[in-house]
Amino acid sequence: MGGGLITLIRRAFVAIGAGIAVAAAIRVRGHGGIPPQTGGWRELRGDDLR
Amino acid sequence: MSRVLLFGAGATGARIARQLRSSGAVDTLEIRDPNLERLARLVDDLGDGTVAGRGRRISDDPAAVVVATPPGTQLGLARRAVHEGVAVVTTSNQTSEVRRLLELDDEARFHGVPVVVGAGFMPGLSCVLARHGAREFDEVDEIHVAKVGTGGPACARQHHRALSSTGIDWRDGRWMRRAGGSGRELAWFPDPVGGRDCYRAALPDALLLVPEFDGIQRVTARQAATRRDRFTAPLPMLRPPHAEGGIGAIRVELRGRVGVERRVSVYGAIERPAVASGAVAAATTMHVLAGDFEIGARGLAGHADTVGLLNTLAARGVKPVRFEGISTFV
Repeated sequence: MGGGLITLIRRAFVAIGAGIAVAAAIRVRGHGGIPPQTGGWRELRGDDLR
Repeated sequence: MSRVLLFGAGATGARIARQLRSSGAVDTLEIRDPNLERLARLVDDLGDGTVAGRGRRISDDPAAVVVATPPGTQLGLARRAVHEGVAVVTTSNQTSEVRRLLELDDEARFHGVPVVVGAGFMPGLSCVLARHGAREFDEVDEIHVAKVGTGGPACARQHHRALSSTGIDWRDGRWMRRAGGSGRELAWFPDPVGGRDCYRAALPDALLLVPEFDGIQRVTARQAATRRDRFTAPLPMLRPPHAEGGIGAIRVELRGRVGVERRVSVYGAIERPAVASGAVAAATTMHVLAGDFEIGARGLAGHADTVGLLNTLAARGVKPVRFEGISTFV
C-alpha cells in the first residue's frame, strides 16, 4: 500500500515535470507574429476605386 | 426624392438620420423611437423634412425602411416592411437575428424587394471591403475579419454578450461552433489602434460572407477584448455602458490565389463605430433608393458595385485603408 502511494506520487511528479519541460521548451523556442516591419496603411484612392 | 422611414434614434440611428438628411436623396424622413424625448430632440435638430412617427406599422408607403433598433428587435420590422413590398436596410449584428433576416430571402424575392442585412461597421463595411478586395484574386480561399470598439449602449451590450456566446466559423466547407472568448489572435488594425488581442465571439460575419464567395475554405470573425472583458463576459454588465464608445476599427484579411501565386490582402477602416455604421447604412439606403440593389435578402458582400458604395462612403467621410507592405516573421 505504502509502496503504491510512493509510486503514484513519483509518477505524478514525473508527469508534472514533463509538462513543465514541454511548456518551457515551447515558451523559449516558440514565437508568434511580430508587427509588420515594412509598409503601412494607405487610403483607398485612384485605381482602388475604379 | 423620396420618403424614408427610420426606426431607431440611438447612436447609430441618429447618425443615419443626419447622413440621409444631408445627402439630399431623401425628401421626407420619418423617425420612430420608443424614447420620445430622444426622438423629439433629434427631429428638432434635423429641422424641416424630418418628422416623428409612432408605432411599428409601415405606413404611408415609404420608398425604404431603415432599421437601427437594438439587435434582436429588427426581424419583425424587416418582415413587416417586406410584406408591405418596401425595401429594407437592417443594421443587426446579432447572429441569430442575421440568420433569420437572411431567411427572409424567399419572401423578399416574392415581393420583389431588396433586404440588406447587416449594413453597419462590422458586419457591413467589412463585407464591402471583402467583396471589393476579392476583385483582384482569381480565387479567394480565406477571409478573416476582426473589429475593435462599440457604438452606442445597445451595441456595447451585444458586444458583451457575444464574447460569452458561441461563435461560428466556416472551415473546409462546413460550419464549426466555437467557444466565445477562445482563439486569441493578435490582429493589427489601422493606426492609431494598432495591435489588439482578438477572440472568437458570436459574430454573424461568416453567415453573410460564406454565401457570397463560391469555394471559400475558411471564414472567421473575431473581436478585440481585454482581460477584464473576458473575465466579466459571463456576468451581467457590471456598469451601464457609455453613451457611445470611442474610436473603433475593422480589419479584413483575404487570402487566395492570383495566377499561380498565393497572395494576402489586408483592408481596414478606423472610425467611431456608430458614425461608421450610420454612414454605411445611409450610403446603402441611398443606393437602395437608386435601385442599385438586387432583390432578395443578403449582406453587403452580395452587392457587386463596391466602387459606387465606397465612393459614396468616402464622400460621407468614411475612407477605408489598405495595408501595403510585407509582414516579416522571425
